[in-house]
Amino acid sequence: MKIVIDWGLCQGHANCTGDAPDVFAVDENGKLTVLIAEPPEEMRGQVELAVRYCPTGAIRIEG
Amino acid sequence: METQTSVASTGTNRVGSAASKSYRAVPVVSGALPVLGHSIEFASNLLGLVHRGYLECGEVAGLRVFGRNIVLLSGTDAQEALFRAPDEVLSPNEAYKIMTPVFGKDVVYDASPERMSEQLGMLRPALQDKRMRTYGEIVAEETRRGVASWGERGEIDLVEFCATLTNFTSTHCLLGREFREQMSTEFAQVYYDLERGVTPAAYIHPNLPLPSMRKRDKARVRLVEMIEEIVGQRLRSGRRGEDFLQTLMDAEYKTGEKLTPHEITGMLLAAMFAGHHTSSVTTAWTLIELARTPDYLDRVLAELHRVYKPGDDVTFQSLRQIPLTEYAIKESLRLHPPLYILLRSALVDFEYRDYLLPKGTWLATSPWVSHRIPGIFPEPERFDPDRFAPGREEDKKQFSFIAFGGGRHKCLGNAFAMLQVKTIFAILLRGFEFEILHDPIVPESGLVMGPKKPFRVRYRRLLPNGQF
Repeated sequence: MKIVIDWGLCQGHANCTGDAPDVFAVDENGKLTVLIAEPPEEMRGQVELAVRYCPTGAIRIEG
Repeated sequence: METQTSVASTGTNRVGSAASKSYRAVPVVSGALPVLGHSIEFASNLLGLVHRGYLECGEVAGLRVFGRNIVLLSGTDAQEALFRAPDEVLSPNEAYKIMTPVFGKDVVYDASPERMSEQLGMLRPALQDKRMRTYGEIVAEETRRGVASWGERGEIDLVEFCATLTNFTSTHCLLGREFREQMSTEFAQVYYDLERGVTPAAYIHPNLPLPSMRKRDKARVRLVEMIEEIVGQRLRSGRRGEDFLQTLMDAEYKTGEKLTPHEITGMLLAAMFAGHHTSSVTTAWTLIELARTPDYLDRVLAELHRVYKPGDDVTFQSLRQIPLTEYAIKESLRLHPPLYILLRSALVDFEYRDYLLPKGTWLATSPWVSHRIPGIFPEPERFDPDRFAPGREEDKKQFSFIAFGGGRHKCLGNAFAMLQVKTIFAILLRGFEFEILHDPIVPESGLVMGPKKPFRVRYRRLLPNGQF
C-alpha cells in the first residue's frame, strides 16, 4: 500500500492526523508530511479512514 | 503582485503561441433575447436555465447575462479545469463583491490574493482535528437544548427549527460561549439586518441610499462593538475559548501584526455566512428526504441504535461508525446543494479543450446541474444514498460530487458541516419520530436553496430527555 497526495488539493485540515497519527503529520502552517509513505498492511483501516474523511479528497491509496 | 504579472504574461503567451490553433465557438443556450440575452430567465429561473443549458450544449454552454458572457462548465473534466485553475487565472473575488460591505473592506475576498490566503490560513487551527471534537460536543449540547422543551407530540416549522438550531451552534462555535449565552438575542437581530443587506443591488454599487443598506452598515458597526466587548472581557479575565474568536485573537500576520476588530468581525461573519444557512437547509432536506424514504430511514435508525445506547454521548469517534447516516446527508447535498451556482471571473484568456474563453468572461459551474448528470449519478432524481456505499461509490471520480466546491477554494468548513449534521441526526432521530405534512415540496432559492417556509412537521417523542 502506497500513499499518494494530490498537493494541489491539500489545505492542511489535519483530519488525517486524527485518523492515522503515525502516518500523517501537519505543522502549524498547515504543511502536511507523510511520515510513512508505504505503511504496513495492518494500518490499512486507519489510512482508509483518513482517505475517506479528508475534506479535500487529497489522499489516495495505491495498491 | 509578482505572481500575477508572470501568470498574466503566460496567459498572453498561451494565446500568442496558439495563434495557429482554431478555436470552436461556444454554443449559446436557446432563448436569448435581443439586448437582454438570458438576463430575465437568469433572474427568475436560474436552475431551469442552467439545466437546459447543459442538456442542449453539454459541458460548455454560453449565456449572455446583463451584458456579460457567462460560460457554464459541467461534468467532471470541465469542473476540474475550473477548480484547479489558480486565482490569478480564474478568480472568485469578483463574484463575492456583493459581500464586501458585510465582511468588510480588505477582508477575505476584498483583500489581495496573498492577504486573503493569509487570512484564511488563520482560520485553519480553528478547523483542525482537535477543535472539531469540541465543536461536536457543542452541537450535541445545542441540539439537546433545542428539543428539551418538546412534548410527547407536536408540530414544528422545520425550516425555522433548523435555522434557529444552526444559528446557536454557529454562534457558539464561532463566537464562543459568552456570546451565545449573553448576546444571542441581540446577535439574531444584528445578523438578520446584515443578511437583509445582501442584495443584488450591491452589484450596481455597494453603498446606495437604501434602508436595507443603512441597516446593514449600522448592524456591522454594532457587531464590531459586541465582539470588542467579548475580546476585552477575555483579555481582562485571561479566560480562553475553544472557538474561532480565540483563534483569530491569537492569530498574527507574517509581519507580526494582529488582526483588528474590524478584520476579526469580518472573518467571523464570513464563516457565519458560509456555514449557517448551508447547514440549516442541509439538515432540513435530509430530514425531509429520510421521511419520504422509510425503507432507508429504517436502516439509518437500526445503525444509530446499534452504535448508541440510551444515554450515550455522541462522540467524534462514534460519528465515524454511522456510514448510512452519512450517505443520507451526502445524498441530500447531491440533490439539494445549498450553493447551486459557483462563479469565477477569467482574469486572463482561459483555454478549455477547443474553446478559448477570453479575459473578462465569467465561468460558472452548477452543483445542482452537475449532480444530475446521469452518466455520473444514474437515475439522478432518485434519493438513493446507497450510491455512495462501497461497490458503487458514484462520487469516486474527483470533482463529481461538488456540493462543497473543489480545488483550492473548496469549502473550508466541509468536515465541520458533516460533523454538525451527523451529530444533529444521531440525536434527533433517536429521540423523535417525524412526519412531514407538506407535499409537494417547494424549494426556495435565496442565498441558499432550502425548502419553502413554513414547512410543518409533526413529531412524536420516542425517548425522554437525557436518553438520546
